[in-house]
Amino acid sequence: MIYKTFQIKTLLYLLPALFIFLVFNVLPGLTSLALSFFDFTGFETNLFKKFVGFDNFVKIYEDKYFWIALKNTFLLVFGAVFIQTGIALILSIFIFFGNFRFSVLIRSIIFFPCVLAPVSVGLVWKKILEQDGVLNAILGLDFSWLSSVSLVMWLIIMVNTWQWIGYSLVIYYAGLQSLNIELLEASDIDGANWSQKIFSIVIPLLWPTTILNMILNLIGAFRAFDIVYVLTRGGPAHYSEVLASYLYYYSFAAGGPNKMGVGASVAFVIFACILTIALARIIVSKRIERN
Amino acid sequence: MKDSLQNNYGATFKRSPVFYILTRIVILFFMIIIIFPLLYTLSLSVRSPDTVYSARYFLIPYEFSLQNYYDAFFYAEERLKVSFPRMFLNSIIVTTSSVFLIISLSIFAAFSFSHLRFPMKESLYNVMIASVAMPAQVLLIPLFYLLIYFGIINTYTAVILAYAGFLIPIGILILRMFFEQIPGELTEAGIVDGASDFQLLMRILLPLAKPAIATCVILLFLDTWNEFIYAMIFMQDPTIHTVPVGLAKIGTSRYHINIGTYSASVMITIIPVMLIFAIFQRWFIAGMTMGALKH
Repeated sequence: MIYKTFQIKTLLYLLPALFIFLVFNVLPGLTSLALSFFDFTGFETNLFKKFVGFDNFVKIYEDKYFWIALKNTFLLVFGAVFIQTGIALILSIFIFFGNFRFSVLIRSIIFFPCVLAPVSVGLVWKKILEQDGVLNAILGLDFSWLSSVSLVMWLIIMVNTWQWIGYSLVIYYAGLQSLNIELLEASDIDGANWSQKIFSIVIPLLWPTTILNMILNLIGAFRAFDIVYVLTRGGPAHYSEVLASYLYYYSFAAGGPNKMGVGASVAFVIFACILTIALARIIVSKRIERN
Repeated sequence: MKDSLQNNYGATFKRSPVFYILTRIVILFFMIIIIFPLLYTLSLSVRSPDTVYSARYFLIPYEFSLQNYYDAFFYAEERLKVSFPRMFLNSIIVTTSSVFLIISLSIFAAFSFSHLRFPMKESLYNVMIASVAMPAQVLLIPLFYLLIYFGIINTYTAVILAYAGFLIPIGILILRMFFEQIPGELTEAGIVDGASDFQLLMRILLPLAKPAIATCVILLFLDTWNEFIYAMIFMQDPTIHTVPVGLAKIGTSRYHINIGTYSASVMITIIPVMLIFAIFQRWFIAGMTMGALKH
């Protein structure tokens, strides 16, 4: 600390960033919560004219596609938190302990999809999964993968995992590099085999990294919109809609209902989900600290 | 450097042939899954229009041709009213200005958080941390009207300011963390020599923070270059479409598009990123890992 007390000139450093943060982040965030109680369309200028109370929430509560979107969002989050983290854990351990000659290259290749735009990734997979696509050619099938109501969400999870697996991998790798090697050497003397070492030493020691990865993937999966938009546009018949794309459909999509108030109430639901998770995380970490 | 250490770790696993073979099979399998879709798209894009539906082993074209790339450029100009070079120019303008704005403002704000005093500092900081977890879509509707109200909708400024509001907290978080890791002796020595707070930041902290700023730039570059929904909704005028928006329009268009043209369009957006990644890969990985550890 340079000064023992608050100096007016400190504000010169803080205010420009704070101003933009407040005007373009906090203000719209709070407005969004308020807007969910009003009815307005994309062409109106006075948004706060028609107060409708909880009507927007009732509307989404009664819409079966909202529940599908909510279920799909949680499915996507589940896939990112458990499947993606799980595969990344296995891959990172295998690469790290496997004595690969080109381990840097292997990591770079698996990481590469992370730097691509989700739009590009979605379009790459869209052609592969189409009825005349290469997946059917390889498997000798004639199946329209993205039109299958029961499979479509799992395909989106797969594409999402394909893109972000490298991200979880490099975070695990950073965790592995700070691992305490003495425990592994000690287990060597005790005659532990490779699976015992992995399951009894490496994975338990990586637990903090696993938690970090799960949180990151959870936040990332809640954001996913681009991949759904280019792969299916929420189709077939809204069965692959997630909360973000449902919001887009209700408020902005050409040919959609153009009900911004309903969109704002969906934003409220997303906000509430993230807030609940953030609070749960703070409570859990406080409890861990206390013990 | 770190990788030479890895051999010591690996040594405890070396004696098991089962582990050796298992790792090779699993890693090979995943490498194929990662590489195949990209190679396949590349393969589609370099086939001649006549042989686009067939190839040896799904990948090797019977007849090479760059016709698809020519068609893709033509298609974008004809149907979207925005050429690929223009899309790239738009993306470069939006990305560089928002990254520059975010980084410069974050440096000063992070300094005030790490080395200066002001009321409600930690509560404000907690609000910023909390906002990082919020999905961008939550702000979409009110931001849309706010930008209309300011009269800047459908301009670069709209998206630049929206990105700045959304990403400034991340910049501040990373840079504050880094400023606080710089040993107090260095700043104290500066103060003893009579440096003002501004000189302290410019002469002592910033030169040391170069790596943190570089990783921050890469993280923000990726976030803004690949961003889609704000760019799509706040800049609906075709002439200022960014790369992801233009590409999404091509890829989800209702008009018929030749699969080769489609793939060439996708590859046009992937290849530049691939080249930049090949050069700066260590920085990319470091940048994204650093972005993760902020949580």
